[in-house]
Amino acid sequence: MVPVLLGLIPFGFVAGVVAVASGLTPVQGLALSLFSFSGIAQLVTCQLLAAKAPLAVVVAGAGVVSLRFVMYSAALAPYVAHLDRRWRALIALLMTDQSFVSSVKRYAEPGDSRQAHWHYLGSALTLYVAWQASVIAGIVAGAQVPASWSLDFAVVLTFIALLVPAVRTRADLAAAIVAAAVALVTAGLPYRLALVVASIAGIGVGLAIERLHGRRR
Amino acid sequence: MTWLAIGVVSVVTFGLRAAFIVFADPHRFPHGFRQALKFVPPAVLAAIVALGLGLSEGRIDLTWRNERLVAGLVAIAATLFVRGTLAAIGIGMAALWSLQWLAHRMA
Repeated sequence: MVPVLLGLIPFGFVAGVVAVASGLTPVQGLALSLFSFSGIAQLVTCQLLAAKAPLAVVVAGAGVVSLRFVMYSAALAPYVAHLDRRWRALIALLMTDQSFVSSVKRYAEPGDSRQAHWHYLGSALTLYVAWQASVIAGIVAGAQVPASWSLDFAVVLTFIALLVPAVRTRADLAAAIVAAAVALVTAGLPYRLALVVASIAGIGVGLAIERLHGRRR
Repeated sequence: MTWLAIGVVSVVTFGLRAAFIVFADPHRFPHGFRQALKFVPPAVLAAIVALGLGLSEGRIDLTWRNERLVAGLVAIAATLFVRGTLAAIGIGMAALWSLQWLAHRMA
């Protein structure tokens, strides 16, 4: 848990700095963080708002980078089906990459896991509080961090740390390479639409390669 | 507009998280869509990283003069051996600051 928290703090700090730098008021930056609770979605929203993108583009951008939550949701659903609706809504609200990974580990342990939602709540709430505190620190520090420190580069590095372990198969690698190449080719598109186009192209190529492999076997 | 965007983005991120936990049954779900979801993390993250490293002052720059690109490739190579967010941030920032210092000295 501690290394996870240590990785979260610079990321949250940068998310706070970027919110203010993108022209959001401190209250707006905090509201976005409290209610969306997703670093990547927060950053993409801020960047698109700063680019004066139309509402539909902002929502599409934040939605595409959040699609991985659908996958987590499908994976967790069988374990929490016995809980009531309020509990399940709370679990969904607090879901992050980190809390998903830690809860999947817990559910994979042998023995009774009917009370494991308390374990999830404990780790997810800790992450929530630590995240919001570091975002607030970033919002407060905001303009005082000199641009020459290139602190925004820490965000790209956070994504690299998530990307490398996410590439496990050849189809994953193909999806990643195609998405990266398409993103660079379409980078000139307005409102960072490149992100949406490249993600769809990468997913399509990953699927196609997996289908081909399946047929050969 | 900003408040509206904050509201809609918050509803969308919650809706995606709640999709199967609260609303739908994951077993009644087309196999093809579940397969597609597997490729979301590598594709989306690679697109974000490519734009973060390849764009320099709003232009694509894939030469060694792009300090972010070089520092990012160093971080990717390092992450293959040392896992973890902190390692990636530490190594990548150290590489970027060294390159910026070198460029400054040579200019």
